[in-house]
Amino acid sequence: MKVSLVGLVFRQVRSSLRHLCWSHILASLTMALTLFVFGAFMMLQANLEQLLTAWGDQMQITAYLGRALEPTELERLLKSVETLPEVERVRYTSQTQAWNDFQTALGAQSGLLEGLPHDVLPASIEISIKRGQRDSSTVEQVAQRLRAEKEIASVEYPQQWVERLGLTVLAVAWAKWIVGGVFFLATFFIVGSTVKLALYARRGEVEIMQLVGASETLIQAPFVLEGMLQGMTGAALALAALWGGYALTRQEIESFAGAVGWFGHVRFLNLEGAAFLVAIGWVVGAAGSVISLRRIVKTWRGSEAIV
Amino acid sequence: MRIQLRHVSKTFPPRQRALADINLEIRESELIFICGPSGAGKSTLLKLLFREIEPSEGEILIDGLNVTRLRSRGVARLRRKMGLVFQEFRFLPALNVLDNVALAAQVLGVSKKQSRVKAYQLLRELGLKDRHDAKPFMLSGGEQQRVAIARALINDPALIIADEPTGNIDHELADDIMQLFLKIRDGGATVVIATHDRGLIQRYGARVIKLERGFMADASPAHIPMPEYTW
Repeated sequence: MKVSLVGLVFRQVRSSLRHLCWSHILASLTMALTLFVFGAFMMLQANLEQLLTAWGDQMQITAYLGRALEPTELERLLKSVETLPEVERVRYTSQTQAWNDFQTALGAQSGLLEGLPHDVLPASIEISIKRGQRDSSTVEQVAQRLRAEKEIASVEYPQQWVERLGLTVLAVAWAKWIVGGVFFLATFFIVGSTVKLALYARRGEVEIMQLVGASETLIQAPFVLEGMLQGMTGAALALAALWGGYALTRQEIESFAGAVGWFGHVRFLNLEGAAFLVAIGWVVGAAGSVISLRRIVKTWRGSEAIV
Repeated sequence: MRIQLRHVSKTFPPRQRALADINLEIRESELIFICGPSGAGKSTLLKLLFREIEPSEGEILIDGLNVTRLRSRGVARLRRKMGLVFQEFRFLPALNVLDNVALAAQVLGVSKKQSRVKAYQLLRELGLKDRHDAKPFMLSGGEQQRVAIARALINDPALIIADEPTGNIDHELADDIMQLFLKIRDGGATVVIATHDRGLIQRYGARVIKLERGFMADASPAHIPMPEYTW
C-alpha cells in the first residue's frame, strides 16, 4: 500500500474514532472484560502449575528395606536403583539415621520414644524421579521394579496428590478455554457490531470509494485497524485491572496459601503471558472486523436496491 | 474505451424488466447520448457499464474485457479508468467540496496535497473556485452538479459515464459543461451521457440511443441532428 494511502487510512480511523467514540469505548470495554476473565484463568493456571512443579520437585519414592543389609548387598541394591533410567537421585537412610531424624522431628516429644529399640524404624532409600518423567505411569513402573528387589519390603509415594493437582490444573486450563471461548464469542459479535455500526455510518463513503475504484484492501483497512485498536486497548485495560486485582489481593492469598502449607508467593502473568493476552485481543478485534466487513460489503456490492 | 453490449437484459426481482436484449457498440473517443423517458432504463444501462449491477443476460465488453465476469478486484481496476457523474451526486456531507473531489484521487494513491491542488484546478475551471471550502449541502443544484463533474474528471478517465449531468443547471452552464465533455472526448476519452434534455441533444450532433421501457427504440447515426422527441 502506498504511503499516501496509509495516510488516508489513518485519517479515516481518526475520523471514525471521533464520530463513533462511544461504540468504540463499549467494544474496548467488552474486550477488556473478556481478556480480564481469560487473563485471570491464565494466572490461576500458571500459579497452580508452579505449585505442581514445586510438589513434583519434592516428590520422591520411598522404598523401605525388609532387614539390615550387609554393605555389599546395600551397594548392589543402590547401584541397581541408581542405574534405572528414570531415577535422578538416590539417598540411603540407615535405621540409626531414621531413628535420629524421627527424634529430631518429634523435638520436645522425643521422650515418647524411650524404651523402644533403636532399630524399630526400617532403613529406607529415597528415590527422586527425573523432571519430565514424574507422570503416574512412569512412577508406577519404577515402583514395580523396586518391589521386584527382594531386599525391599514396601514402596510408598504420594502420587495420588500430585495426580489430583495435575487434574486440577488441567481442569483450569479447560475452563480457561471454555469460559474464555464463550466470552470471546460474545466479544467477537460486539466488535463485529461496532464495525457494522461504523460501516453503516460511513456507508456513503464506502460506496463512493467503491465507485471510484478503491481497492477492497483500502476500503477495509480502516475498519480492521479499528478492530485491532479496540482489541489492544481492551488488552491494556484488562492487564491494568489484573495487576490492580493482583496487587490488592496478593498478600491475603499468600497468607492463606502459607497457612495451608502451599507455596510462598503468587505470581503475576509473565511477559509472554501478557504479550499473549494482547495478541489475543489484537486477533479477536481484527477477526471480528474482517468477518463483519466481508459479510456486509458483499451484501452491498450485490445490492440491487440502489437502482 | 470501446464498449460493446451483446444481448444485454436486466430484470430486477421479482419480475421487473429494466432492459431487454440491448445490442450496442460505443466506439473509442465517441460522445453518445442515452435518452428516453423516466423508467426507460437509462440509469440501469449506465450502472451496468460501471458494474454497480450485473446483467441478467448477455455480456458487456469494455476494451474487449468482459466486465460481467470481473471479480471485485477487476471491477475496482476498471472503475479507476472511469469518471462517474451520478444523478444523485453522492457526496460525503462531512467533507467540503475540495475534499470531496480530492478523495477520488486519494483512493488511487495520489497524495493529499497533489490531489487537492488538482481538485482546486478543476473547481476553478468549472467556476467553483470560491466555493471549494463549502460543504456540499450549501451549494445549489447546479453547483453540486459541477462538483460531481470535477470529481469524475480528477483521475483523467478514459470513459466518462454521466447520468443527467445537466439536469439541474441552466442552458448556458449546460453548454459550458458540454464543451468540457467535448474537450475530454477530443482528448481521447469516451463519453456516455444519459439525459432528458432534448435541447442539449439537438445542439450537439452526437449519436443518440433512445430507450423505451427497457428496449432500444431508436438509434441515430453519429453527427446527425435528432428530430424532436415525443417523450
